[in-house]
Amino acid sequence: MLVLVLVVPVACAVVCGIAPWRRALGWLGTASASAVLVLGVALAASVVHGPAVTGMAGILRADALSAFMVVVIGVIAVLATWQGVRYLDGEIAAGRCTPRHASLYAVLVQAFLATMLLAVLAANLGVLWVAVEATTIVTTFLVGHRRTRTSLEASWKYIVICSVGIALAFLGTVLVYLAALHVGGQGPNPLDWTALVRESHQLDPGVMRLAFALLVLGYGTKVGLAPMHSWLPDAHSQAPAPVSALMSGVLLTVAFYAILRFKVIADGALGPPFARTMLVIVGLLSLLVAASLLLTQRDYKRMLAYHSVEHMGLIALGAAAGTPLAIAAVLLHVLGHGLAKGVLFLASGEVLLTEGTSEIERVPALLQRRPLLGGIFGFGLIALLGFPPFSLFVSELNMLRAEFQVGLGWAAAVSLVCMAVIFAAVMSHGRHLLLGRDQGDRRLPTVALVAVPLIGGLVGCAFIGISAWPLQPLLHAAAGIVAP
Amino acid sequence: MTGATYASVLGLAASVVLLAAVATLWRRSLHAIVRALAAQGVALAGVAAVLGLHHHDPGLLVVALLVLGAKAVVIPLLLTRVVHVDPTSRETQPLVNVPASLVAAGALTFLAFAASRAVTALVPTTAGRLIPIGLAAMLVGFFALVTRRKAVSQIVGVLLVDNGVALVAFLATAGVPLLVELGASLDVLLAVIVLQVLAIQLRSRLGSFDLDQLTELHD
Amino acid sequence: MSASSLAGAAAAGGVQVVALAFGAPMLLGVMRKVRCRIEGRVGPPVLQPLRDIRKLFRKERIRPDQATWIFPLAPVLLVATVIVAGAIAPLVTTRPALANGSDLFVIVYLLLTGSAVLALAGLDAGTAFGGMGSSRAVTIGALAEPALLVTILALSFGAHTSNLPAIVHATVVDPGTLATPQRLFALGALVVVIVAESGRLPVDNPATHLELTMVHEAMVLEYAGPDLALVTAGEAMRLALLLGILVNLVVPWGIGATDGAGGIALGLLALSGKVLVAGSALALFEVFTAKVRLFRLPELLAGAFVLAVLGVVSGLVVR
Repeated sequence: MLVLVLVVPVACAVVCGIAPWRRALGWLGTASASAVLVLGVALAASVVHGPAVTGMAGILRADALSAFMVVVIGVIAVLATWQGVRYLDGEIAAGRCTPRHASLYAVLVQAFLATMLLAVLAANLGVLWVAVEATTIVTTFLVGHRRTRTSLEASWKYIVICSVGIALAFLGTVLVYLAALHVGGQGPNPLDWTALVRESHQLDPGVMRLAFALLVLGYGTKVGLAPMHSWLPDAHSQAPAPVSALMSGVLLTVAFYAILRFKVIADGALGPPFARTMLVIVGLLSLLVAASLLLTQRDYKRMLAYHSVEHMGLIALGAAAGTPLAIAAVLLHVLGHGLAKGVLFLASGEVLLTEGTSEIERVPALLQRRPLLGGIFGFGLIALLGFPPFSLFVSELNMLRAEFQVGLGWAAAVSLVCMAVIFAAVMSHGRHLLLGRDQGDRRLPTVALVAVPLIGGLVGCAFIGISAWPLQPLLHAAAGIVAP
Repeated sequence: MTGATYASVLGLAASVVLLAAVATLWRRSLHAIVRALAAQGVALAGVAAVLGLHHHDPGLLVVALLVLGAKAVVIPLLLTRVVHVDPTSRETQPLVNVPASLVAAGALTFLAFAASRAVTALVPTTAGRLIPIGLAAMLVGFFALVTRRKAVSQIVGVLLVDNGVALVAFLATAGVPLLVELGASLDVLLAVIVLQVLAIQLRSRLGSFDLDQLTELHD
Repeated sequence: MSASSLAGAAAAGGVQVVALAFGAPMLLGVMRKVRCRIEGRVGPPVLQPLRDIRKLFRKERIRPDQATWIFPLAPVLLVATVIVAGAIAPLVTTRPALANGSDLFVIVYLLLTGSAVLALAGLDAGTAFGGMGSSRAVTIGALAEPALLVTILALSFGAHTSNLPAIVHATVVDPGTLATPQRLFALGALVVVIVAESGRLPVDNPATHLELTMVHEAMVLEYAGPDLALVTAGEAMRLALLLGILVNLVVPWGIGATDGAGGIALGLLALSGKVLVAGSALALFEVFTAKVRLFRLPELLAGAFVLAVLGVVSGLVVR
């Protein structure tokens, strides 16, 4: 079954690459994403109470944490590929995109999904690294897909900074391998995660300290944690909207998943304080950076991108707390943020498509002119700011509770201040965008094709906010893996 | 290989890796910088070959050949093509001037030694003692990436970081498992191709490789 | 130290000084000849620099009115320091005079004393050219000095001492020390520093008299007669000494290890051959090199400094 999860998007990519472009191929992409989601749910059901599933001669392994990530990837991929059809329609209609480029887009999106799935399903930390590097390469082309000057600049910055991050992560992985080799009694697979966790208390602390620092810096570059975040606003604002949704909603958290896996090993080797300190530092730094830069944003897509930096900072703080409650809240936040951010990016993509500009000043009174779209956007912003009934409220609350429980109350207080600042900033930008009165009567209907997935995403976010069923056992099992 | 010869040759090859990294900070001509990168690739292959001969590990010799092909031949060829797009360009105004960069390189070398004491303690072999050199090469490459303006110099910086990491990997573990090393090399090659494609696309849009012209996206 | 070894050391020192005094102008002549032949000219005869020095000794001594006692002192001090350094450096034998005091630091600072005094004399002449040349020369010296100091440190790793005869002796005994990275980097840095200190291309053009490019020539522009003869001889001896030390660090074989006359003679022969080869190589290099612009010199010398640092680093690591 694990192999099937990977084969589906790869096969879809091959088909999209070979066949000449037809609109139906876009729907094929959505179908593949839905298949991934279904398989992910099935996988989750089987591992939540049972043992982990392995596949492909031990290279792939799915425990509760991996299964949860597969579900997250599947859900947001469905939304993004659904909207992707509309994006490609718009691009082709505007003449900016030839059918060959559209095929390339479809192939790359499916490859992107495949590499992310490989990353979360990898049993071997080296394969994890290879998969994350592969995502970087694939997404570089996706970010530059529109081939404008600014998107090329963004993709250039993206690949340069992320390549360095990946190299640092590789060094960290090599150091972990080195420490593992010296423990002795190795199987043929010293980078196997379960084996490493088993003997983590025997690993040399000095080496693990250096290794974990490098890994946080390296994978943290891909997560978008400050001070390695400078590629994020550019890349996420210049990429096509579905790609931004996927990157912001999922890729950042897949990289964070990698950090979580290493955190388990580091906690075993060094004790919780070291990992906690590192994550608190980068988390707070991200929050401060996001808070200070959100105030002056003039572009709504960039605003959303900085908002992702903030949420990654929150996730880092939550992971720093490290209790099972904290980790469960972090994972719930991952899903909720993915949904809400994904919906927002997709909605902003629709706005960009029809308005032609991404500056906040030039798109006023969205609620009046496009009530459905404006409503979706507004509810999305409310969801992201952590209002009930959306799930981000629950997850943020629980993360703060956990932080106070372990003595990180001061960090929680700082993060609350930053969140307040961000709240004010987003509210002010949202007010410009949504409210007001437009002189002309440029009402445009919103296509159902667009609205259905977005509303579905918001409803889902609210649903899991109200009751975490049916995710609760999965979240607990996954949290148990990271914080035993 | 006798002990003393092995130590000398390995030390020499590792030092050439670091020297090539410093040379990219020293020289201004982009051709010379790419040549330094090629020299570093040769030295890296030499390290792998020496390790393979000493440990009687044919896998490492294969890796040495791959490294030679990829990092000493293919990548510098690709980069030379990029340089030829604008052959007269030189690194005339780096963010940190050349003498200060060189002094910083010396400081980074000492920093690398200080930071990797735990690692050298864990691997007390001849190869293990050279690990700080790899770390220093990585730091120097990072410095080159941050302070150089030309696109080619920045690509070279990324590759220097990667070569430094590869050197540490070879010295610390006598080769990471072959599968991962292959995957790593392939990924790096793909990344470089991507970088080159982007650089050429950028050039066709902007007319030059001065990344200072790319300042539309900022806060 | 026994009397015979004292005598031997003194004899060796004397031989070295005499060889320097007469051999250095010949070295200059050979270098000029090589350069001219490569450039397709016949060039002056090899003994011409000796003849020039002899001619200058017979000419009238002219001193500027406003010059002080430094002006006549500088050439004498220059030659004196080079003679002392030449006596104690391991050129023809590894047991020169005052071998215990023949430390790299001592030799280097003897030579630098000569340069410093010459720079002062350039200022003393009171002309614009003199001041300009002195300031440029001192700048180059100041940039080269850190590189030189770290190079000495790197060289001392092999023999665990900075005593130059001991280092050369250690290389003769165990050639493996030559292939170590620290020795190679240190020698690389040393070559750059020697080129800088003796005022050869690409740092300074010894044949130029253009204001923009003069460094050393500007300092000694006011000297005439015997003073100029002493300066020219001193500079030539300095170049020969530096090249001699360099070749004995790189290829020390042939150097006399005993006190006997045979050893000294063999060493002298070997030294002459090696220094001539090194000088010709330098002259050849100069034909194909352009002078580096003055404000680019810090880059070149910083590069030498980092080379030396790398030599120290590898010395600490590779054992």
